[in-house]
Amino acid sequence: MTFNPLEQRGVPLDRQLRSWRELNVDPIDPDHCDPYTRCRIITMNGIEVEAILFSHQLARNTVDPEVKRQLARVRYLEAQQQKVVNWLLPGVSSVLETTIAYEQVAVDLTAWVARMEPDPYLKQAYQFGVLEDFDHLYRYANLYEMIEHRKAESIVDGLTEVMPGRPTRFHHRDPVDNVRDAYAKDETSPLSKLHALTILSAEQQTMNFYMNTGPTYMEPIARQLYQEIGLIEEEHVTHYESLVDPGETWWEQLVNHEYNECYLYHSFMEQESDPKVKAIWELHLNMELEHLHAACDLMRRHDGRDPASVLAPELPDVVTFEPNKGYLRELLDTQIDLTTLGAGYVREAHERFERMQERIHGGEAPPSDRVMTEHDAMFGREYRVQSEGDHPDPAQREK
Amino acid sequence: MSEMPEMSGPRTPHAGDDMAKDDDVVALLMRQHGDIRNLFDEVEATKGEERGDAFRRLVRLLAVHETAEEEVVHPFARRALPGGKQVVKERLAEEKAAKETLAALDELDTDDPKFMPQLLKLRRDVQAHARAEERYEFIHIRRSADVAGLAVMAKAVKAAETMAPTRPHPGVESGAKNMALGPVAALMDRTKDAVRKAMGKD
Repeated sequence: MTFNPLEQRGVPLDRQLRSWRELNVDPIDPDHCDPYTRCRIITMNGIEVEAILFSHQLARNTVDPEVKRQLARVRYLEAQQQKVVNWLLPGVSSVLETTIAYEQVAVDLTAWVARMEPDPYLKQAYQFGVLEDFDHLYRYANLYEMIEHRKAESIVDGLTEVMPGRPTRFHHRDPVDNVRDAYAKDETSPLSKLHALTILSAEQQTMNFYMNTGPTYMEPIARQLYQEIGLIEEEHVTHYESLVDPGETWWEQLVNHEYNECYLYHSFMEQESDPKVKAIWELHLNMELEHLHAACDLMRRHDGRDPASVLAPELPDVVTFEPNKGYLRELLDTQIDLTTLGAGYVREAHERFERMQERIHGGEAPPSDRVMTEHDAMFGREYRVQSEGDHPDPAQREK
Repeated sequence: MSEMPEMSGPRTPHAGDDMAKDDDVVALLMRQHGDIRNLFDEVEATKGEERGDAFRRLVRLLAVHETAEEEVVHPFARRALPGGKQVVKERLAEEKAAKETLAALDELDTDDPKFMPQLLKLRRDVQAHARAEERYEFIHIRRSADVAGLAVMAKAVKAAETMAPTRPHPGVESGAKNMALGPVAALMDRTKDAVRKAMGKD
């Protein structure tokens, strides 16, 4: 089905404001929901948070008070969308449960994007990153069983395997090695721009979530694990944001943001299994269409360019949450021992990497290793879900 | 320390199914909240006699867990926390409501079509109650009780836990209509005695 958001009209801006009654949505049932419904909610929350923060930064760099007012108006509507989306998450879920769902998003969304990405350099960036999120899922799953006696399987529901990825202790690189080369805005495919924005938004939200919720835990190992993985999220945001061409104007970036929101709400509306949630995706798509038109007007006015010249002629194939087990196993088999050097990837532990490792670990086991030791002391085993057989890397098989 | 079962793949932990030191009553009760949730999963996923067995284990663990909380942590919270009386009052009201749902459920056969909707309601109530305890009561208990106090309370809750074996015992109780309130009430009484003994209060 072809869908060109530039040719569609939605709910007029002056009819988008919602009352408390409309904002008061029913949360999903954490014990019976489709895990990918929760993944779509977490993704769209990250997208809305990025929309709000980007608009704030743009407003701070805008002189014209009339434009500032226009940005404020749309941004308030985006803030309402964020409230509706994130409030679909239930209050009875623990932070750790939500964390495991965040990591399921990071794994299955990044894997899907890596599979679909046409540019080989960008594809490599997603393949590299996904093996780290995959390992985080495994560490948090073990922590979850220790604290709540629950299996992560009750959250990811057999859709995503839980086993070691690239071991978390190796994710701590010298910060300069986290900066990638950017795509060229006039040469790259419009789909690549949408991918980069989607993944950077999701990782940024994960970074924000861990940096704020990590210290709410009282268990020392939990506090420390959130600190460690929280710092890796900082690396991931650096990694993904550096893929975006900094030569895009503010207005072009604004248009890309709004277009991406249309793309994702459209995608999720197409595949949503929960009818109440589907209705929200549909409503928000109809709101975003008008946000997009407003952004296009600003780009025409300030850049003197036609937004259609930087966008895809129609929406690309829908972003899909689906199992990526085979793909991940292939990556585990071939890319587990990669690290970065400058803007590229290498297999050997180079000098700058070794120096960073020595300094941050200080000769001790990091929290991500200690959580496994403590889990083993408690249960005499690890927690894994290996529905497709042994770990592809013999070194990562359970001893 | 409890004995570890044979582990081939990761199996769902049952109450007491770990080698934790159990010197912190809050950590222990939070794990029991997970154990209760696991048993709800098991009841939902099974049928026939298996479901009956899982449900009986759920009822036992709920009874023992709530009794231990009423005997051990609520009195501490009422005494030691600012505003503790109100917090405990709200938790007790939730427990009372849950017990009423449980009693209604208990009169049904587990394969009765009315069973599952009521079980799901109970599950929602129990889960909301558990999180409210964790957020509004336990968090203050950890702040107010010293290490020795947390350990003494943990010991008492462990004593209660042994009253409710939660692993499947195929055949042992199958078919027996022993979940009328009598046996549960008796179980609660025995749990109270065990807890009081462990607290040195008998």
